[in-house]
Amino acid sequence: MVVGEEVTRFLVQRLALGALVVVFASALTFFFVNLAPGGPASVMRFDVTAEQREALIKAMGLDRPVPQRYVEWLGAALHGDLGSSLLTNEPVATRIGDRLPNTLALAGSALLISIVAGIPMGVVQALRRGRAIDHVFSLISAVGLAVPVFWLGIVLILVFAVSLHVLPSAGVTSAASDTLADRLAHLVLPAVALATTILPTVVRFTRSSTIEALHEDYIRTATSKGLAPWTVVTRHALRNALIPVVSAIGALVPRLLGGTVVTEAVFGWPGMGRLALEAAQGRDYPLVTGLTVVVAAIAVCASLVVDLAYTRIDPRVRLS
Amino acid sequence: MSRFGIAALAVLVAIAALAIAGPFLWTIPPEATDPAHGLAGASAAHPLGTDELGRDVLSRLLHGSRVTLLVGVAAMLAALFIGVVVGAIAGWAGGWLDALLMRFTDAMLAVPAFFFILVVITVLGTGVATLVLVIGALSWMPVARVVYGETLRWKAAEFVVAAESLGVPAPRLLARHILPQAIPSLVVSATLGVAFAILTESALSYLGLGVQPPLPSWGNMLQRAQQYVFTAPALAIYPGLAITVVVLAFNFLGDGLRDALDPRRRR
Amino acid sequence: MLGPCTYVRLSALVLVATLVLSACTGASQPAGSNAPSAQGGPVAGGTVTIPIGADPTLNPWSPNAFVESLFINRAIFDGITKPGKDLAPAPDLAESWTTAPDGLSWTFKLRSGVKWSDGQPFSADDVAFTFNDVVLKPDLGAQNRASYAAVKSVTVVDPNTVRFDLSRKFAALPSFLAYNAGIIPKHVLSADPLKTTSFNKGVPVSTGPFKVEKYTSGQSVSLLRNENYFGPKPYLDKVVFTVVPDPNTQIAQALSGDITIMILDNKAAVDRVKSASGLVVASRPLVQYYWLALNQTDPRFTDVKVRQAFVHAIDRQAIIKSVELGYGSIANSPITPALAAYYDPSLASKYPYDMQKAKDLLAQAGWKPGADGVLQKDGKPFQFTMDVGQRGVLEPVNALIQQDLKKIGVIVDLNTMEWNAYIQKDVVRREYTATVNWWTYPSDPDVFPYYHSSAAGKGFNIPGYQDPKLDDLLVQGQSASDLESRKAVYKQLQAYTSETLPYLFLWYPQEIDVLSSSLKGVPELGLRDAMHYIGEWWLAKK
Repeated sequence: MVVGEEVTRFLVQRLALGALVVVFASALTFFFVNLAPGGPASVMRFDVTAEQREALIKAMGLDRPVPQRYVEWLGAALHGDLGSSLLTNEPVATRIGDRLPNTLALAGSALLISIVAGIPMGVVQALRRGRAIDHVFSLISAVGLAVPVFWLGIVLILVFAVSLHVLPSAGVTSAASDTLADRLAHLVLPAVALATTILPTVVRFTRSSTIEALHEDYIRTATSKGLAPWTVVTRHALRNALIPVVSAIGALVPRLLGGTVVTEAVFGWPGMGRLALEAAQGRDYPLVTGLTVVVAAIAVCASLVVDLAYTRIDPRVRLS
Repeated sequence: MSRFGIAALAVLVAIAALAIAGPFLWTIPPEATDPAHGLAGASAAHPLGTDELGRDVLSRLLHGSRVTLLVGVAAMLAALFIGVVVGAIAGWAGGWLDALLMRFTDAMLAVPAFFFILVVITVLGTGVATLVLVIGALSWMPVARVVYGETLRWKAAEFVVAAESLGVPAPRLLARHILPQAIPSLVVSATLGVAFAILTESALSYLGLGVQPPLPSWGNMLQRAQQYVFTAPALAIYPGLAITVVVLAFNFLGDGLRDALDPRRRR
Repeated sequence: MLGPCTYVRLSALVLVATLVLSACTGASQPAGSNAPSAQGGPVAGGTVTIPIGADPTLNPWSPNAFVESLFINRAIFDGITKPGKDLAPAPDLAESWTTAPDGLSWTFKLRSGVKWSDGQPFSADDVAFTFNDVVLKPDLGAQNRASYAAVKSVTVVDPNTVRFDLSRKFAALPSFLAYNAGIIPKHVLSADPLKTTSFNKGVPVSTGPFKVEKYTSGQSVSLLRNENYFGPKPYLDKVVFTVVPDPNTQIAQALSGDITIMILDNKAAVDRVKSASGLVVASRPLVQYYWLALNQTDPRFTDVKVRQAFVHAIDRQAIIKSVELGYGSIANSPITPALAAYYDPSLASKYPYDMQKAKDLLAQAGWKPGADGVLQKDGKPFQFTMDVGQRGVLEPVNALIQQDLKKIGVIVDLNTMEWNAYIQKDVVRREYTATVNWWTYPSDPDVFPYYHSSAAGKGFNIPGYQDPKLDDLLVQGQSASDLESRKAVYKQLQAYTSETLPYLFLWYPQEIDVLSSSLKGVPELGLRDAMHYIGEWWLAKK
């Protein structure tokens, strides 16, 4: 595959724009968090004396003006140094690096579930449009979209972990036996809960775009030629139907990432969502800013990948 | 409109009626504690039982519906306002302003809202006003896109061009001629927007960042209820069910309206 | 030549003698031998799993060592003393201690032959380093520094003896040294005592019965038996601390057997846990009390009748029942029942719940009900805001207190705040009218930092109550040289504070511990204090 001039130009443009978005997000976050009342958790302890407080604030360099600290942070960040966490003194990059794989695993599994379950469901609905199964799936989708994720999580834990003892209720692994099977068992409930934030939308998009694709003239031509409906669907309609779905999935990634915050809280999943909450509440300024940068970067990359994939699937689309 | 849409509308009207009139008919105050009778089951005095401090669950659910719906509608209106302004200006102005605003909209869409909500609320503190602003400020983008599209579409329509040539100023044109065309789409966005706002508020309250006790909201009722999930699971069922039903109703209503108001769309 | 019968009898005799001897000397034997399990006796082996809420910081003096850290730190780091099973200070790294006749120094004789987990020898230099170079250095911001305000410096008398030189008499020093005061190694941390992450967030060097094997961020910290430990060889092979932030998940894991012992933070689940087989539920004493602080800079609260009225108006038993599920007792002074040697039980029934008495006292103070039932004085209604920090049981407690005060005509508005912002407002800036919170403190009745007039404003005297008579009692308690005179002083202190109510005392909570029925050897102390005895814990075979 030769990367054409057009693609390169597109990439460069989008990357530059993406970088701008990330910097903007970092500035916004940095100023916001530093304006929050209170200070780092180590300072805001009940048992800290006034003298200790001053000493700690000075040691952390927090007595200097905010704009100055942002410029310093930006300078270091552009060299890859996201600073040190105020809460643990470890490099921010390490702290995020510890948690990133867990969030990616969770979000990735939820995405996988949504695609693997959602697309077939949507296709079936389109093929059996108006029949009972269509209505049933629609109802399930609608309920899935309406149920609060954390409530679903609590209910799932109650049913599968506490009552039935079939699946573990929290964490990434059991301390005792860290095997792949164990990790997968821990992943099931949180991934299913998180998937409900986007699965219904995937189903719905697949359904409507498959219906549209099935109504295209060339499909009617194919059916009139005597080709079986199933062949028609898979060979012709599906390819075209998937185009808007791919784009929709790309647009859903931010929602998925946002949903990890609550899901991780319910399931005690050590991911970036949990870290963001702790960091915000603990006023760990470098960590919060670093997290925002990483999350924004992921979102930008995801949308970029989706747009590029779009061009592979649909040769009619030109990069604009 | 489809049967589901009409049913949804009926449900919402009923819930709104409950929210408005309920607290007048069921007069037990939501914050009246009675610790001796905490976690009581259903009874004549307390049809839905009491929570851990002996407060009447039905009363809290009714008062909570007010708060939840208020936050939901207010946040949606905030989102609507911002979205209309951004979309209309971008669509009308064209050129670099258009590109800037729409790129900004795209950027905001790419960013996971929840992360930012965390940070912002930590700064601004909790409370209904902050909540409404924050949720509104992070959900205006779909509205902006819709308004943008409509503005572009109607900008070149004959009657608009005619009015423009008569010297009608742009804001008037937008307000009087263009935006009214967008109302069907906006109504759909609005109903879906309320659903989103309610879900977001309840998630935030669950994390302790939303509506603060003792003011009840369905979200913060779930936060406390999680502690009692082993002894009184019903406490968690009612608010969660309420949220699901209301959000479901708004979603069905939005879909129903979308199908009914846009005849060009193929089902 | 001995016949077979004689041989058998002789062997049996020898066997019995050996068993008896080893049982007698087992307690003080160095590492290597454990009595084999006769029925019910301690057996070696096994892993205990304990949940903690977040990643710990493995350095007792780091300002980032929050509650999740202290469990592990108490298992791996030894202090000069540790809490005894009766909560009086017991020997740990020190074998004995004396105070000078003038009371201005304490001398501790340290054990010899103690080794760090990396094999290096422990000595008095480590103690001097911990205090002189870490705790007493203001710009390092070490935790708990305030407890050692009276310590000028630590002097090394000889490799096994240290002397704490004081600026004033400090009878409680041995107790304070038992409280989260682990000694840290000079040879590892002299460069950067509080921020060495390979130590704090990795594998530290320590002297305790267990040492860190592995630290997996976000998941667990595992400890192995320390083969170099100076005391009796610990029974357990391994202790694993798993990071489980959600209290309900902790309960679920206890129910499914994945956790061996934990504190039941969510007391509401106690019935559920009690009904599970294989689990034991125990209530434990705590050195902790909840209070309501009425800012003494507000003239409405300076009249003791108002404070007493409020205590009568608040149904404290109902709070204990609904919020602590009955695991607690009413408090009328700062000395908790856990400090059995000092606690005066005769004060327990003071200030019974009595709304009429409350209204009468307020009337005496000039507050009369207006037309709408709200109390008024000089035309102004009795209305104020209470700041509520979002932590633990504070939200429901404040809701109950608000309703109780409403019933006597006092209107309270609740301002719920995120914890960090709350500390900033109420503690750092002291901008508050009334607030509810708690104190936990070392197992000693010396409550000087929370009550002395010098601690008002910027110190821990949150209400800002200033009373020379109280000051006097506090100083007497610090200077008293023997147990009997201390007891007398603190008895007076309890009586006086319960009359004058610098803080409005609410209740003494108890801790509920949940443990697997196969876990034995855990002393009947709160889990934090029980961690000091983790070398004695053992697991019975199922």
